[in-house]
Amino acid sequence: MKDKIDHISRRKFMEELRRYQKGSVTRRHFLGVTGLGTAAAVLGAAMPGLLPRRAFAQGSIGDRVVLATWPNYHDLANFDAFTAETGAAVQVNVFGSNEEMLAKLQAGGSGWDVFVPTNYAISTYVDQDLIEPLDLSLLPNYDAASFDPRFADPGTVGGKLYAVPKNWGTTGFAVNTSRSGGTTPATWKEFWDLTQTTFSGRTMVHDYQLTTIGNALKYFGFSFNSVDPAELAKAEELLLAAKPHLFAINSDYQPSMRSGDAWMTICWTGDGKQLNRDMPEIAYVLGREGGELWSDFYAVPKSAPHRAAAYALIDFLLRPEVNAREALFHGYPVPDARLSAILPAEVLADPILYPAADLLNALEFGAAVTLTDPNRAELMARFKSA
Amino acid sequence: MRLYALAVFGFLYLPIAIIALFSFNAGRHASQFAGFSTQWYGKALANPFVMEALWTSVSVAFASALIASVFGTMAALALQGMRGRVRAIADALIYIAVMVPGIVIGIATLIALVTLFGWINPLLARLAPEGAAPQLGMGHGTLIAAHALFSMALVILILRARLEGMDRALIEASADLYAPPLATFRQVTLPMIFPGILAGFLLSFTFSFDDFIIAFFVAGSETTLPIYVFSSIRRGVTPEINAIGTMVLGASLVLLIAAQLILRRGRRAAGKDGG
Amino acid sequence: MQRRLATSVLLAPAGLWFAVMLVLPLCFVLVFSLGERGAAGGYVPAFTFEQYANLPARGQAFLNTLILAPVGTLLALLIAYPLAYHLAQGVGPKWRTMLLILVIVPFWTSILIRSYAWIFLLGGQGVPALIEWMGFGAVRLINTRFAVLTGIVYGYLPLMVLPIYVSLERLDRRLLEASADLGAPPLRSFLQVALPLSLPGVATGCMLVFILLMGEFLIPAMLGGGKVFFIGNALVDLFLQSRNWAFGAAVAVTLVAIMLGTVTFYLMLMRRLGGARGNVDLI
Repeated sequence: MKDKIDHISRRKFMEELRRYQKGSVTRRHFLGVTGLGTAAAVLGAAMPGLLPRRAFAQGSIGDRVVLATWPNYHDLANFDAFTAETGAAVQVNVFGSNEEMLAKLQAGGSGWDVFVPTNYAISTYVDQDLIEPLDLSLLPNYDAASFDPRFADPGTVGGKLYAVPKNWGTTGFAVNTSRSGGTTPATWKEFWDLTQTTFSGRTMVHDYQLTTIGNALKYFGFSFNSVDPAELAKAEELLLAAKPHLFAINSDYQPSMRSGDAWMTICWTGDGKQLNRDMPEIAYVLGREGGELWSDFYAVPKSAPHRAAAYALIDFLLRPEVNAREALFHGYPVPDARLSAILPAEVLADPILYPAADLLNALEFGAAVTLTDPNRAELMARFKSA
Repeated sequence: MRLYALAVFGFLYLPIAIIALFSFNAGRHASQFAGFSTQWYGKALANPFVMEALWTSVSVAFASALIASVFGTMAALALQGMRGRVRAIADALIYIAVMVPGIVIGIATLIALVTLFGWINPLLARLAPEGAAPQLGMGHGTLIAAHALFSMALVILILRARLEGMDRALIEASADLYAPPLATFRQVTLPMIFPGILAGFLLSFTFSFDDFIIAFFVAGSETTLPIYVFSSIRRGVTPEINAIGTMVLGASLVLLIAAQLILRRGRRAAGKDGG
Repeated sequence: MQRRLATSVLLAPAGLWFAVMLVLPLCFVLVFSLGERGAAGGYVPAFTFEQYANLPARGQAFLNTLILAPVGTLLALLIAYPLAYHLAQGVGPKWRTMLLILVIVPFWTSILIRSYAWIFLLGGQGVPALIEWMGFGAVRLINTRFAVLTGIVYGYLPLMVLPIYVSLERLDRRLLEASADLGAPPLRSFLQVALPLSLPGVATGCMLVFILLMGEFLIPAMLGGGKVFFIGNALVDLFLQSRNWAFGAAVAVTLVAIMLGTVTFYLMLMRRLGGARGNVDLI
């Protein structure tokens, strides 16, 4: 770095830098004078602190884009490819619940350009005036006709498209069968009973009210989405009884399942797939009583500081071949029909991704009311602080 | 006794050894060692978000420590020897600033500033022509302001102890000799309290550089190094984080030892130190 | 007159800072604690004590904090004291500075990264594997109170060592020698000479660590697996998950009140014990 700018003095460099920052010289002049133009392409990304932010931008979309998403949900190589193509580096922030994402956006100053809300949360974001209708002219790779309406429709609120589908999936549980004596539990009843007996100290639940409370409700055969006080009271009783037997309350359960510290966890399709791929003894189970069916979306917050980059990133990730690479990595089904031609047949026939019809039909989509219902939020908080 | 000290140092350095060891891990996962490699150091240094987070941390720490040192020194001088109601209020405020947990400060600052900005921004928008209005938001400025508050209380406390032990006769003698107050300050007071100011600055810098919880609430879209580390841990740690930690640790160790050597040499040059 | 003007000018920036960044936010918290949760979260103005009436819903978190913070402080003290004593009295001046630096240095690595190392150490592949290998059977350490206490003691040990060391360093070694010459057994000279002199350092260290522990959030979050909840965790949860700002504000006000009570009580106690020393500072 240093020897590259040696042909002008340090003071001259600082003067030029200041002039550039004030806007009195153009970027080209600045880069030319300081000799940074060539250096920037090679070294710019290495030491951005020394350079004005714009100096290492290559394209017109800026040099960065901030994505808020869920654990284990992207092939990082795709982001590297995006950066190589556009010059914008991708910062990934990971969240464990829609509540957390909503809280961060409501407090303001999230700095996100793209985030990944779940189907039932989108209407709340629209009500709260937190996301913008998408400009489809900036998303040429989005082909509405190729998306399964069952999973795509929640992205449209009041006739306007606010979000485009990312993936869909189910919420079941993963269990290390080498610890369960060869039998695989098949119901939420067994999940919670095992937790309090032979799996004591080895089970994880999400730090996420929708799935943790929802699947406790399933123990009693209630709706996954119930906000009925009497039913929630039963669920709370179960959760409090199970709590001393839990290993952890955390939505990022893969490390603990892999290390063998945890034997069973509430689990999303893709995590189940990733775990099963590397450790075949870990099975992914959909509780026979039902549970959650969901679809995730890409949306752009109104406050997005890098709008152009946000659209560029979404469009990039919607490219069928990129999306296919994502799917091969994260193991979630994609509601885009164009991918059927690209993905290998064994993926399209995988029972973890595409469960049998009787199991699938028992599932429910999350309901918008659960996101804002104060009783469910408070129940979850009581459960955690107990 | 020596064995005990050794055991405690072992306890202090075991996790650090683990961090350093895994920073040389060739594999992706932070907990399975898959051969030796220095690739993560290169990755960390080439990662624009890491470098920018580092830069944000350093600049915020520097700015807040500077503000705290200057304004804190001024306040400590004004409070010196003061009695009465102003002093009582000042003492109470300093006491509260030190005692209220960082998490409460963070939350309180967040809700106060978000609400305040919510009132001010529409006014600004009305004053300025279409779209040109500056809008206030959480970020660099709020982070510096919040860190400077705690640091200022620290600086005042440190200087107060120092000023109390100071010989007032010197200042009075200087005044008796008709030295203007500013000259007295520059030639008598400042040299005496300077070590205190320096200590306060360093402490403030360290506090700000290491703070996570206040920044977590008031940083807005800014990412400091601790915030970056926190979100990386949630994303599933790669040894990149270990590499960053090891580098920061190494740099601080070098700085500390260098400072120690310089101090020792300075003392020797001044002839005060026999060793 | 001129002197007063100078004083005002000197005080103005700090005064303004404290007013805007401390008094104002705390007032906001107080006002919010009397409000209600909005329909989609956040805050709606109201005048109600409902939030305070709901405090028992976080009783366990308060209890956890009020037990684990003092226990953690005590453990840190028990581990730190002998080390500080050794550094101050048993090590030559040449090594002393070096060893002191070694005590401080871990503090310079983010507590996040150090806690992450503990997740590995206390997890199934770390210490428990060692214990099992040695034939003591399977134990689980991570995500327990033990893990949280380990992290706490580890994280705050340097803050405990330093003030005690400073108070012990001032102790004249000849006092101990004199005591020994007079035939006092070592334990007795320690109890009657060294210990009383080091009490101010002990008090400072304990207060410092206790204050920080009362607001702790990170270590329980990382080493407690979401199961060991401090008030700090309850607060973060209320603001970042359930978005109940009003209740969160009430919890924050209560926490501050508890701390003001404890610290004031402590200062009064120290003043009484310290007697002539009169002025006891927090730091």
